[in-house]
Amino acid sequence: MEQIMEYLPFLIPLLAVEMILAAAALVHVLKHKNYRFGNRAMWVAIVLLVEIIGPILYFTMGRSDD
Amino acid sequence: MKGYHAFVKKEWMESLRTYRALLLPAVFFLFGMMSPLAAKLMPDIFSGMNMEGVTITVPTPTAIDAYAQLFKNLTQMGIVVLLLVFSGMLSGEIAKGTLIPILTKGLSRNTVILAKYTVSLALWTVSLAVSCASAYGYTSYLFRNAQVEHLLFSVFCLWLFGALLLAFILLAGALVRGGFGGLILTAAFIGILLLANLFPAAEKWNPVSLAAKNMQIIAGTVAVGAMMPAVCLTLAAAVLCLVLSMAVFRKTIL
Repeated sequence: MEQIMEYLPFLIPLLAVEMILAAAALVHVLKHKNYRFGNRAMWVAIVLLVEIIGPILYFTMGRSDD
Repeated sequence: MKGYHAFVKKEWMESLRTYRALLLPAVFFLFGMMSPLAAKLMPDIFSGMNMEGVTITVPTPTAIDAYAQLFKNLTQMGIVVLLLVFSGMLSGEIAKGTLIPILTKGLSRNTVILAKYTVSLALWTVSLAVSCASAYGYTSYLFRNAQVEHLLFSVFCLWLFGALLLAFILLAGALVRGGFGGLILTAAFIGILLLANLFPAAEKWNPVSLAAKNMQIIAGTVAVGAMMPAVCLTLAAAVLCLVLSMAVFRKTIL
């Protein structure tokens, strides 16, 4: 417990950034029908389960241009 | 001037809609936060590894190690992220053909280049600042004697290198057709700079040393004055890239 308290200043911002990215990506995935590849279920899983990298992958590679 | 304002606004909207304006600062903030933490935890990580009698002794980390981690992350992953996010800013729009309507309505092509450069440079500046501010904050939190010398100059060097890359991306986008051409050309440009660094005579002037000597600047083994040739050359090269890309883009057939 003490160790967790020590790293709280790291965990809170880390979680916050993770949440913001995941939420932004999830909204985008659900609002759009077409992706450059893959389908909706795949991108929802990637965005929610792969922390930080998932949303980045979605916005740089998965998001279609329309 | 009016066209410039309008196009800057359009570029900014595009950055928001494509989530560039969110991704870049977020990723760079994480770099800035994780680097001091990685430096601090390094001895624990090594002692946690049980390697059959082999003991690795790691000296107690200091603030210098935290910044070493930071600049390692920023100059490698950071530059890669910057390239990936911005590589399509001109070539992508040429490929999609979305520039044609505004250009036929009288927006000058120079304005397109300048506005794109303004917005991308602003985003890069903010991201780097966020990264360094968080690194500085967490380093002060984790380490005593967090003061290091010439930190700002060291960051400025990296910033200037990024500014050159952004200018080159625009030039590459005007030169090569297709979405990925610009990315490949810019990667080749960095490759050539890295190769040129093999010659000791070129090292002093090479822009890439701005992203390679950051730690030596902080540690004090490289004097600020010794970086000046590279700083001047990079500044000139960035301006040259911008002027060239405007000249090339004026003749690009859309």
